[in-house]
Amino acid sequence: MRIWLLCLVLFAGNAAALDLGDALKKLQESGLPTELVGTSQDEEIAIGRQIAGNLLGTAPLVKDARLQRYVNQVGRWVALQSERPDLPWHFGVIASDDVNAFAAPGGYIFVTRGLYHLLGSEADLAGVLAHEIGHVVRQHHLKILQQSRLVDLGGKLLARQTGENEQIKNLIGSGAEMVARSLDKNAEYEADRIGVVLATRAGYDAYGLPGVLQEIGHFAKDDGSVALLFKTHPHPDERLDKLGVVMADRFDGQKGATLAGRFYRPKWLAGVPTRNK
Amino acid sequence: MKLAGWHGLVLLVLWVSPCAAETGSALKSEEIKAEPFRDAKVVGTLVVGDKVNIMKKDGGWLQVKSARGKGWVRMLSIRRGEARKAGADVGGLLGLASGRAGSGRMVATTGIRGLSEEELKAAKFDGAELKRAEAYAVSGAEARRFAAQGKLVVRPFDYLPAE
Repeated sequence: MRIWLLCLVLFAGNAAALDLGDALKKLQESGLPTELVGTSQDEEIAIGRQIAGNLLGTAPLVKDARLQRYVNQVGRWVALQSERPDLPWHFGVIASDDVNAFAAPGGYIFVTRGLYHLLGSEADLAGVLAHEIGHVVRQHHLKILQQSRLVDLGGKLLARQTGENEQIKNLIGSGAEMVARSLDKNAEYEADRIGVVLATRAGYDAYGLPGVLQEIGHFAKDDGSVALLFKTHPHPDERLDKLGVVMADRFDGQKGATLAGRFYRPKWLAGVPTRNK
Repeated sequence: MKLAGWHGLVLLVLWVSPCAAETGSALKSEEIKAEPFRDAKVVGTLVVGDKVNIMKKDGGWLQVKSARGKGWVRMLSIRRGEARKAGADVGGLLGLASGRAGSGRMVATTGIRGLSEEELKAAKFDGAELKRAEAYAVSGAEARRFAAQGKLVVRPFDYLPAE
């Protein structure tokens, strides 16, 4: 199976894009089993890397080394509380005034400058990152790719490249719409539940993520800065409703830290008004 | 140029409409407590839709003032702000600016300042930027030091059930 697919991928390597539908048809006609094939961790990271590189091609990092370092410190600490503490986790703030956050397989996580601006404490940041970490831990995006039955790349051979990975590019397309793809609503609710738990395990106030969702809920539905977020996620009010039911009084004994004092507020953000602050 | 103008307008609209004091409304019937914890004395009961003024936040609790009394209620029992109303205002102002005021229709502002689906589809791989992003990675040991500096303490906590 692996070898057959590898041939298919290499054969298609010269084409500008691989027609997934056509390839899938061939695969089915071949009589080979079409059930999910496991993806190795190296493959998962290689896929995430390609998607992250594409996303950064649209919105580069905010040029603030202290900010980038800070989100990696908070993010890595939260990720250590998950079942995948040893992934090579990467976090970043990208230069977009949209309010959104993205996760790619293998542990690549980005929040927009517009979302960072809504945060008021380190616990808020931890909560947002923890939601995205939840997507990675449960492999929500990878599973979508696996459902196309074409992510079995033939092992580590393809995962060792450091630049743009042509084979992966051919499989997932050249764009970064993968990060903007709507997941199942239940995957979002699951990431919310994981988010509040990971933040709690990390010692933070559990209510960072719900607080940020309340802020995002303030945006008008037709506000351009939340258009993509609202298109790809259930409305914050629905997410808060689900969280409220399941959190109930379970977090009552957990007095976590907000670390509002340590929260890094870039000076360049101070002059930018938002309606939520 | 046109885009820059729009951007400025959006910021202006956002700037002139902050809430003086944050308000909210009760999502369900909820006891108002004297202190921010479950077993605290009950000082009143909110009814669905009751307006409250939010005074401060403490973990999962909000201190509120309302016609039913002053005290603490669970944060997730309150919808903060007046989203519906604010939304209408923003749409209205943008509608005015685009010459479509009075139509009563929300104006689609998608793409004014953003990361649209189209832009993401057209994204080109940026290897140099990816390497810069990867260079900011923090090791597990560094993250533990960072947590210790903030006096963050790990607490065991089970994942939540789906319902």
